[in-house]
Amino acid sequence: MGFAGHVTLAAFCQQVLVGLSRTTILFIVASGLSLVLGVLRIPNIAHGSLYMIGAFLTYSLVRLGGGGSAGFWMALLAAPLGVALLSFVVERGLLCRLYEREHLMLLLFTFALMLVFGDLVKMIWGADYRSFAEPPFLQGSVLIFGLPFPRYNLFLLAVGPLVAIGLYLLTNRTKIGKIARAAAVDREMVGAMGINVSWVFASVFVIGCFLAGLGGALVAPTQNITQGMDHAIIIEAFLIVIIGGLGNIWGALLGALIFGLTDAVGILIWPQFAIVFPYMAVVVVLVFCPKGLLKSIW
Amino acid sequence: MSPPGMRFKSAGFAFAALAVLFLLPAVLPRYYLYLLSLVLVTGLLATSLNLVLGFGGIYQFHHAVFYGAGAYVFALMLMKTGLPAWLAYVSAPAAAALLSLLMGLICIRLSKLYFGMLQISLGSLVWVVVYRWYGFTGGDDGLQGIPVPGALSSTSGAYIFVLAVCLLCLALMYRIVNSPFGRIFQSIRDNPERSAAIGVDVRQHQLIGLVLAGAFAGVAGALFVTVEGSAFPEMLFWTLSLEILVMCLLGGWLTFWGPMLGAAIIVVLRTWVGIYTDYWTLILGVILMLLIYFLPDGVLGRARKKKTIENPVAGAGKV
Amino acid sequence: MLQIEHLRKCFDGFAAVRDASLQVAPGEMVAVIGPNGAGKTTLFNLITGQLTPDSGRLFFKGENIAGLPAHRICRKGISRSFQVVNIFARMTVFENVQAARLSRLGKTRQLFAAACSMAVPQTMEILESVGLADKRDRIGGSLSHGDQKVLEMAIALGVDPDLLILDEPTAGMSPEETAVVLELMKRLNREMGLTILFCEHDMELVFSISQRIMVMQQGRSILEDTPPRVRCDARVQAAYLGGGDVC
Repeated sequence: MGFAGHVTLAAFCQQVLVGLSRTTILFIVASGLSLVLGVLRIPNIAHGSLYMIGAFLTYSLVRLGGGGSAGFWMALLAAPLGVALLSFVVERGLLCRLYEREHLMLLLFTFALMLVFGDLVKMIWGADYRSFAEPPFLQGSVLIFGLPFPRYNLFLLAVGPLVAIGLYLLTNRTKIGKIARAAAVDREMVGAMGINVSWVFASVFVIGCFLAGLGGALVAPTQNITQGMDHAIIIEAFLIVIIGGLGNIWGALLGALIFGLTDAVGILIWPQFAIVFPYMAVVVVLVFCPKGLLKSIW
Repeated sequence: MSPPGMRFKSAGFAFAALAVLFLLPAVLPRYYLYLLSLVLVTGLLATSLNLVLGFGGIYQFHHAVFYGAGAYVFALMLMKTGLPAWLAYVSAPAAAALLSLLMGLICIRLSKLYFGMLQISLGSLVWVVVYRWYGFTGGDDGLQGIPVPGALSSTSGAYIFVLAVCLLCLALMYRIVNSPFGRIFQSIRDNPERSAAIGVDVRQHQLIGLVLAGAFAGVAGALFVTVEGSAFPEMLFWTLSLEILVMCLLGGWLTFWGPMLGAAIIVVLRTWVGIYTDYWTLILGVILMLLIYFLPDGVLGRARKKKTIENPVAGAGKV
Repeated sequence: MLQIEHLRKCFDGFAAVRDASLQVAPGEMVAVIGPNGAGKTTLFNLITGQLTPDSGRLFFKGENIAGLPAHRICRKGISRSFQVVNIFARMTVFENVQAARLSRLGKTRQLFAAACSMAVPQTMEILESVGLADKRDRIGGSLSHGDQKVLEMAIALGVDPDLLILDEPTAGMSPEETAVVLELMKRLNREMGLTILFCEHDMELVFSISQRIMVMQQGRSILEDTPPRVRCDARVQAAYLGGGDVC
């Protein structure tokens, strides 16, 4: 692929679609991170590890289910639930005793979790690459703008908005969502209202981690599942959350769009340095609005 | 204030320790000298982080960027230019300080946690460039076979040089911590609002601190290249930054010598554990969790606290 | 010395300070009184630069200081203590005050000098004058509440101010501690000629030592006069003194 001059409009549009399907994954992971950051004020570094665990779990479950469509659907549901269960145990068992501590300690604790999860994954799944095919009905490509486009990416494009709507309903229409938003602004007040803040935190943490697992499950068929995918995704998710505005879910969506699209367009313009484009976009955004594009904390 | 006799005694002890450290190459096998050099370099890096973290209260979450920047600038100058080595040794901290100033100017507007996260983001940008720019930085292969000056290319030569430079840097940092600037820096850590109300330009002082810490990290980077003969992108990856944070926490982040101790423990432990198992990160993770739960002040911090409780006047105010 | 004209500050549409005016002459001891939420602390924060006024003018020694950052205002000669204890909790008592001295002397950017021998006599002088000299090596955060409030004042004195602003200097203190602070304020004002502006809930204290009193209500300055006249004012009596005939 050459430089911008050679790129046709069709190829450009297709690349935008590829970017949008990447955006879906990024949004799902980053919104979970943002949720936890906004309500619990914890920069959860282990979020990326949960994403990785979600992907490995999906791999194992799909293998268990024989590679059929039913197995895929089951894995897509069970893997994030497994991650959520894991996060629940960690939150109730370990993290909930540390909420009164400094941010620094919480950050380092989630770093410790990342280290432990990383090696646990190595113990269970080994250090090799893993990969599996999409479920049969999502295999192959369709022609869009005269160019082949993977069906699975179309599926991702549909999932993204669904998750966004689901999150909107969760945070705006349910009791737990409203309490969580209030807790994000003023913990003491929510506590004074007789609500058990500790359980609100636990619920939010588990939901956030579920999203990490879901992101991992969705991304699993599209790439090699490896050690180290936790490191890559967590920085991207942090960047997205920061340019969007800490704790703001719509900010996460906006940030994911910026990140996914600049990455996709970057591949057209300068493949070797494609990864630099989203980072540059982040710097440009932050130089002009250091607190992110949308209002911080919901 | 210690009585003159005690001061004389501790000076004598320090002199003896110095003599032993400089004479070690005569007796110690090369591998241990190499390990000791690594301890010194890592300790210098951790101490430079603690300058802003423990004494400035700044959430410097991505300190390794300045370490890596120093290492790469040093290595590239030796490899790609014919300039003398001493110039490379001066350029490494200068470049790291400049990078620190640039990043500081962008991040300093934000409060604690936000500052740290923004710094991780900007630092990752630097990492990405180094990681991908095969033509210049060697990409993910890093730079190998860096022509370190002849006298420093032997293990013992490198050790003596690293020891001398580290001691110099530690002495400088010790002076800084106990200088008027250090006092004010600690007052900003304890209470930025009150510091402003006594006429201190908080951001300006924080920037000075960041630049200093960046420069010392750059020195550590150049020293690492001297010892190892190579530089690689992991040196400025964010996980290393958090590992250094763990060292500060382990040794005691409110003490001057804590990070040095923490670095020594971690480096030695990693080497020793590596003989028996591949799961070093698991062990580090568990150690970190235990630290957070049971020893949040670190080894030296705990020791000092104990002393303060037994004798509230004598233990106070020492750094 | 200090001249405040129609100062105003809103938070999210709520005007904490609506229209405050005040004059302080050199050497005076002026009190600001008013019920809770009248805007006294906000007014002080506006004067010392913790907050930026929305409108109004603020002159100190004839120079407009409205909108300057806190550290610049401090360097012009205004120092303050805070209502909630605001000290350097992990430093020793001596270091707390010494930090202020170092800042005043403009030595805060010296990187390699030894701080421990700097500004020692002046720091000790301040500690002795407030009565904390014997606790010089205690960690600030380990002092009793009363001592921390006194330390606060000592820090404020450390920058050698022309105008000292005290936000409820005796809040939460025992009667004995209050008496000590009262004595100290008198001494600073009468013997050392320091201009003091303060606010206080203890009316007895206010009327006993201030030369003039400014009364605030709902963000406005409604009255500025000598203590006897303020005591007789109908509005003040209604708000404060239960309407009894004191005069």
